Amino acid sequence: MAIVNQLVEFVDRRLGVREIFDKELRGYLLPRKVNAWYTLGAVLLTLFGLQILTGVLLLMYYVPHADQAFASVQRITNEVPYGWLFRMLHAVGANVIVIALLLHMLSVLFMASYKGRREFTWLTGFILFNLAMGLCLTGYLLPWSQLSFWATTVATEAPGAIPVVGDLAVEFLRGGATVGNQTLGRFFALHVVGMPLILLGLIGIHLFCVKRRGISPPPFGADYRAVELPDHFTYEKHPHGIPFFPNYVVKDGAVICFFLALLLGIVFFAPGLFFPESAFEPADPFVTPPGIKPEWYFLWAYQTLKIFPSELIGLGVQGAFMTLLALLPFLDRGPERRPAKRPIFVTVFCLSLLIFLAISIWGHYS
Amino acid sequence: MTGRILILVVAAGLLAVAPARSEVPAETVCIQCHGGQPGQLGAPVKDWPGSVHQRNGISCHDCHGGDPTDFANAMSPERGFIGAPAYEQVPEFCGRCHVGVLADYQESAHGRKVAAGGAQCVICHGSHAVQEASLDLINERDCSRCHEYGRAAEIKTALTETDARFATVSSQFERLKRLGVNTESLNGKLFDLRNRFHRVFHSVEVEKVRAETGGVQAELAEIQVQVDQFDRQFAQRRLWGGAAVGLLLLLGVVLVQVRHTYAEEERGE
Repeated sequence: MAIVNQLVEFVDRRLGVREIFDKELRGYLLPRKVNAWYTLGAVLLTLFGLQILTGVLLLMYYVPHADQAFASVQRITNEVPYGWLFRMLHAVGANVIVIALLLHMLSVLFMASYKGRREFTWLTGFILFNLAMGLCLTGYLLPWSQLSFWATTVATEAPGAIPVVGDLAVEFLRGGATVGNQTLGRFFALHVVGMPLILLGLIGIHLFCVKRRGISPPPFGADYRAVELPDHFTYEKHPHGIPFFPNYVVKDGAVICFFLALLLGIVFFAPGLFFPESAFEPADPFVTPPGIKPEWYFLWAYQTLKIFPSELIGLGVQGAFMTLLALLPFLDRGPERRPAKRPIFVTVFCLSLLIFLAISIWGHYS
Repeated sequence: MTGRILILVVAAGLLAVAPARSEVPAETVCIQCHGGQPGQLGAPVKDWPGSVHQRNGISCHDCHGGDPTDFANAMSPERGFIGAPAYEQVPEFCGRCHVGVLADYQESAHGRKVAAGGAQCVICHGSHAVQEASLDLINERDCSRCHEYGRAAEIKTALTETDARFATVSSQFERLKRLGVNTESLNGKLFDLRNRFHRVFHSVEVEKVRAETGGVQAELAEIQVQVDQFDRQFAQRRLWGGAAVGLLLLLGVVLVQVRHTYAEEERGE
């Protein structure tokens, strides 16, 4: 311990890290009634970190070429020491991230935490959510399995319904008329460089927005009061709040442990949960496997396209829904945040959630 | 949708687009032409889908020759078209690929009498709707069409147990494959062994079948050892995984308890 203390002392004399620690962590006060839903940001940071770590390790052995991609993934899984573990953590981790993202977004919606001039926080979060979906989509193609190939073929066909520019858009996405080596190259570049760089930048902006504006307190309890905002910028203080460190960090740590336990539980005890049979066959453009479906989190979109008489209407409905969601803080401007005082919003929220689940299940069995 | 919109947006940011058109899969001209023909000429196109040949990408021209891309010359002998073989030529026709089977067949009682109407490949296996060979092909109804069933039944009994072991090992491979194990070389070994085993059928000699079955079973036992090794490996992984999950849950519960103590402090208890 003496060595550690000496090291901290050495760094502190040069950079004043103790002051930063006391001000930004011990002195960073959170609302007294902050609940477990507020830990999802820390959970997501941890999971994204794990994706970067496992992604870099996979990158050492993965070959982004249609002739070698599947074999290189097989080599990672079967020959590289602990390659199976890194691959599974990366692939299953992506699904767990989507679960955490959905929970984070739903909790923010339910508690109306986007209110109180937090439009930038919401918008950066919304873009991050979409970016994560993009990372999932681009990553899905990389193993170059039958599942990758055909799921990407189905997904990249959707823009074809757009009038006039539809075919061009499809060709633009794929780099050709069909999914092929040129698509793999594009998706690989986006997955390992383009999107992660944007993601890291946006996470930084998102955290800045959260920290700069202050944490939105949970809208529950008899003592909750909606705050009238002045005409200028204010930091939402919580003078009688609890210190972020160590009081709340332990809760963050607990929920992170539970999420990691879930991730490892799937990796070790249900490794096939997100991998249908076609995930273990190399891509074959001449053989369409039966019942090919997109990932579970895209099933709602997949089924929506089939419900409407034309794919264009389906795309329009999806676009309108996503636009509405993105602009929600600009439309829902009342100060009230308590769910009990917002029956219409809560009804729409619950109905939307039920419809999302129902359409996804329908898509799975259709 | 989110992903699709996003991909569109990101793709729009890409500077250079150089579309490289790939080959679009197409039906062979054989299927396009014969598919619309009535009777015997069109029947193979209806029988072939779902066959073991179709599932393995073996199409009309792979057996009958010709050019599957050119309507005008599809059936030209210059392009290798050989058409349908005569009855006694069928073993040679199929034997171009099934070489081992052909050798055993030709030495068998069936093969020696093929010119006089002895059973050949399609009598037992069928032609265009051909399925993966199984012991069900040896049955009283079919064998009794030409001779009494007794010796065929003896052969079938000798083979049944081994065939069941093939099925077991095969399903174990499928299970391992779903766990990410590269079963390609193991599958290759099993395929080779099963082919050798199935060749023996065609000799229709009881003693030879019994002798060969012993050798095949010994090799199956060796493959089973490898499967068991994988199973042990996965059991060990689950053990470590269980320990890791347990530790994380324990740590999570401890941290929740620590949080409770902070919460008591915060309430001033």
